[in-house]
Amino acid sequence: MKRRFIVTTALAGALALGAGIAGAETPPLAQKERYKVGFSQMESNNPWRIAETKSFHDTAESCNWDLIATDAAGSAAKQVADVDSMIAQGIDVLFLPPREEKPLLPAVMKAKAAGIPVFLVDRSVDPNVAKAGEHFVAFLGSDFIDQGKRAAEWLIENFDGDKGVIVELEGTTGSSPANDRKKGFDDRIAEDDRFEIVASQTGDFARDLGRQVMETLLQAHPDVNVVYAHNDEMAIGAIQALELAGRKPGEDVTIVSIDGTRDALQAIIDGKMGVTVESSPFFGPLACEVMNKYAAGEEIPGWVQVEDRIFTQENAADHIDEAY
Amino acid sequence: MSMASTVCSQFRFDPARHGALAALVVILCFNLIVTPNFLHTQTLFVNISQVATIAIVAMGMTIVIATGGIDLSVGAIMALSGALAPLIFLSPFGLANPGLGLAAAIIIPILAALCCGIFNGVMVSYFNVQPIVATLIFFISGRGLAQVLTNGNLQTISNPSFSYLGTGKILGLPFQGWLVLAIALVLWWLVTRSMFGRQLLAVGGNERAARLSGIPVERVKIGAYVICAGLSGLAGLIVVAINSASDAARIGSLMELDAIAAAVVGGTLLQGGRAPIFGAILGAVIIQLVKYTLLANGVADEVALIAKAAIIIGAVYLQQGRRD
Repeated sequence: MKRRFIVTTALAGALALGAGIAGAETPPLAQKERYKVGFSQMESNNPWRIAETKSFHDTAESCNWDLIATDAAGSAAKQVADVDSMIAQGIDVLFLPPREEKPLLPAVMKAKAAGIPVFLVDRSVDPNVAKAGEHFVAFLGSDFIDQGKRAAEWLIENFDGDKGVIVELEGTTGSSPANDRKKGFDDRIAEDDRFEIVASQTGDFARDLGRQVMETLLQAHPDVNVVYAHNDEMAIGAIQALELAGRKPGEDVTIVSIDGTRDALQAIIDGKMGVTVESSPFFGPLACEVMNKYAAGEEIPGWVQVEDRIFTQENAADHIDEAY
Repeated sequence: MSMASTVCSQFRFDPARHGALAALVVILCFNLIVTPNFLHTQTLFVNISQVATIAIVAMGMTIVIATGGIDLSVGAIMALSGALAPLIFLSPFGLANPGLGLAAAIIIPILAALCCGIFNGVMVSYFNVQPIVATLIFFISGRGLAQVLTNGNLQTISNPSFSYLGTGKILGLPFQGWLVLAIALVLWWLVTRSMFGRQLLAVGGNERAARLSGIPVERVKIGAYVICAGLSGLAGLIVVAINSASDAARIGSLMELDAIAAAVVGGTLLQGGRAPIFGAILGAVIIQLVKYTLLANGVADEVALIAKAAIIIGAVYLQQGRRD
């Protein structure tokens, strides 16, 4: 294992060096009728990832892509191998959601060395080694810090009580969405004296764990009246925990969340959840647009930000049919 | 005075039996002093509903370990039965006949689990495969199968009758708590009073001697794995019922470790020959309370894993002392 790590690191370093010598520009993309496009998904174990993959498949038709899509089933090593095989199949362009920041560096470097422009989707790679406009064209994704901040702002505006006692359900420990959504929310909420975060524990982005953690924290802090969950699945779990304990989510406890899944929109319509800040998985159309611009020789910013909407009682019913 | 000293000498004499009870008392006292709002009926409900699935699987595990075996496939079987249930009552048949669909959604997944148990048992008894290897087959493939069945999609359901399995109450206590009690009484009778129980302990105590004395060793072993798998299937249904959602990737994940830990803490010897059913429940309760205590006092979930390991080491140490 250790030896493999050293070899991988050395390889990444060598490739980075090689790429550096080869040129600081990303490979150009010729304008043509049809493109052979690679999309290397990291895993398909949650509704969000499934919706993302589907979005690419749906876009393939309208954007004239011959799409090669793979699923690495949660393994960074397999994702690197998937990219290798796509390079061998002669793709014109690669869309890659890198599962982890460092292990996927070789995939980015190899694609560049093979003259294939790379677009990172929804997660990025180690910014100290790989740079936008040099090793990959751009990163397409949401601003997770901003998502947390917007959730906090909605809460500050819409909370009528004198004192907000907040329980925070965090995502997978150490993952970038969990870190950033926490930072964005905590920093903004600290500016308002009415609020206090009494407990912040991980629910691993999962409904079952979110429910169990909420049940426990509710016992330890019965005065809680706000729950902030880093994703909708945990928020739904928290709603179940509150209902089992005889509380009324939406009335005596305000639920604030991020993602915009179908269940969450339904909970908002039912009056149980206050707000969910969208974190859109529908990257296909944006990918098509950015790729065509790049082929036309336009300047692409290093970070193409996704416009995330915000769903509340006012608009949830209008969007539930398109939710995943 | 003499009574007190007898009690004391008993404690020193049989640490394996009283160690777990003493640990429970210590944890309870600690919680009463430190954890806010611990002495509250809602705390009891929360802990009963959270411990039920571990206790149910741990009892099955105890039966398997009593034969000198081990079952690593319990978590995967939970995932399989948990994935099957929503598929059945969301199918056209289930929607057309709600009553029949509900019955099928409970019976068919448990039947599927029992089949997995037969497979495990046959592999272990007739093909002489090591139990760890034999059950590793479903440990790997069971969850895969569940994910293939559901395309890895999270299935959300809303069926109040099915949810009763996870959220119903009888005499104010959670339904699954009563279920644990009923299963425990049946298994306790089976182990201590029935022919099967005697044969089970004989096979675990000395398989050669049991075979020579005419006990149908193969059938007894298959019976043990079938019971364990059936209980795992039931636990999978409970998890789905509590959450109103089935996530094949997460149901029962790491359950095999929790169940083995609970059985060991409850006084089951890994080399077989003992099946303390109520001990398994005690072990499950201790593990649950430790998790609850750490969480309610703001200690991160990851630390709970370390604490769990410490408890297992303690339990094994006490068992070693007992054998000397």
